[in-house]
Amino acid sequence: MKLALLSESPADEAAISILVGYVLGAPFTRVQPTLRARGWPSVEQVLPAILRHLHFNTEADGLIVVVDSDDSVVHTPQHEAPAYHHPGCRICRLRTVFRRTLKNLPLNAAHPAPATSAHPRIRRERVLRAVGLAVPAMEAWYLCGRDTSITEAAWTQGQAAGRVPYTRSELKWRVYGTERPTLPHEIKRAVQEVTRHQGDLLRLEHDFPQGFGSLARDLRSWRAESGH
Amino acid sequence: MISAVHFKDFKALRSTAVRLEPFNLLIGPSGSGKTSLIEALLRLRYLAGQAPAPGPASALAFLNGPQIEFHFHPPFENVRVTLGCQADELSCHRLRVDHPPGLAGARQWAELRTQLHGIRAYLLDHQAMGAPVLRSAGTELATNASNLAAVLAQRAQQAPVAFAHLVADFCRIMPEFSGLDFRGVGEGHVELRAALRDSPEHLSCENLSQGTLYLLAILTLAHDPQPPTLLCLEEADRGVHPRLLREVRDALYRLSYPVATETTRPVVQVIATTHSPYLLDLFRDHPSEIVLAHKQGHAATFERLSERPDILELMRETNLGDLWYSGILGGIPGD
Repeated sequence: MKLALLSESPADEAAISILVGYVLGAPFTRVQPTLRARGWPSVEQVLPAILRHLHFNTEADGLIVVVDSDDSVVHTPQHEAPAYHHPGCRICRLRTVFRRTLKNLPLNAAHPAPATSAHPRIRRERVLRAVGLAVPAMEAWYLCGRDTSITEAAWTQGQAAGRVPYTRSELKWRVYGTERPTLPHEIKRAVQEVTRHQGDLLRLEHDFPQGFGSLARDLRSWRAESGH
Repeated sequence: MISAVHFKDFKALRSTAVRLEPFNLLIGPSGSGKTSLIEALLRLRYLAGQAPAPGPASALAFLNGPQIEFHFHPPFENVRVTLGCQADELSCHRLRVDHPPGLAGARQWAELRTQLHGIRAYLLDHQAMGAPVLRSAGTELATNASNLAAVLAQRAQQAPVAFAHLVADFCRIMPEFSGLDFRGVGEGHVELRAALRDSPEHLSCENLSQGTLYLLAILTLAHDPQPPTLLCLEEADRGVHPRLLREVRDALYRLSYPVATETTRPVVQVIATTHSPYLLDLFRDHPSEIVLAHKQGHAATFERLSERPDILELMRETNLGDLWYSGILGGIPGD
């Protein structure tokens, strides 16, 4: 498969790329490996343009978007109801952007792109969607299996009680040994930690059933849709 | 080292104070006092090197001109230094020191003076950096980094491990290069060259881009085995691609938080200025490191971002840089 990936930092990108490979169980090619956004609002703002670009100008089969939840509403099974949209949930919002943008793009079967270097011939009808939410940040995923107190449930229960069980800064400390890691250190630790999940993503899906689970379910659904 | 600076009638800083952290990023429009703070620190360094005026700092109260008062972190929390002058004098050129009585107090001041001597300020100039420089001019990086080649040539000889780390960082950030070397030119002059990766070609300093030179100068400071005690850097983002600003931040953090980067040298207090919302975005997790410089009419004031009670709420849905640009935070032209 040819996939594009949009996240908030190079370290997130390195970790997500590995996890995507584990979920798909097959190698994939990164398309446009230079996509990047500057934090949450930027991801949502730039996503329509990226989808349009991927649709018309690349051979990307799908786009993977993973963001931190920070203090926002965490996705729940209730949000999966047909036509449901929670305005405070980042997964709901990103899915809405995907839906609204893609429905306005012509299907490639009806409007094949010219086979030039700038506009390569595209096989799929539209770019597939995979959205994940790291609750509250990617560092929580990195600690999965190491620290049993760090789970989506612990976070959402803490949010409901008005007292979160840990802060983003504390997660950084636990992963990097500092609140201010250098970029190479951040990438190194991210890769080290997600590599532990090779061959067994059950723990990650169990502890982060909505944020990581949504991503994994989206990715698995691609196999059928894309015919890969 | 310096915990706070209080200003009275110093340029646009009519009546304001700023608390200083190990790392401080100043944002605000032109004329809002960012450079005045740096000037005050340089003035402190200069005057602390001279003999202080006799008598307590309170004796400066009779002067009706500008005053700048410096407070310090432990172990110098009982020392207070005041700069002042008469209203008709051009600059604060008198210095008074309040320190505990006796030999212990005098020792404290002597030790603090040594540290104040280590204050440095930089406004990098790529054109000055591009020219060959006398090899003997490499003791310490000049204010505009004009002696970059000599400093690095000397470091390569005298501190090869620190130099190797610098080169490794440079080549990681700018992967088109594979190393740095030096070429003797003219009479005792040296030229810095960057080796192009997968190519026998070398680019001399004058052919390196502005951003590459600025980044190299910042890395030179960040990897300095004998860094200043307090480092001021004007326009820290200048010439650097927005995606590489994280590297600029990391390099400066390396000075302010040496433990975080596994180095063992003392903390260097950093005061940097910027006009880049992209650089500001990188401080989302540390709003206490941002100082807003507000300009209202002819007067300017400082405000630490973390002192805004609503800052965490404001950051929920928006980047810091966008918040600043929008005007919600202040620190904008025509405030």
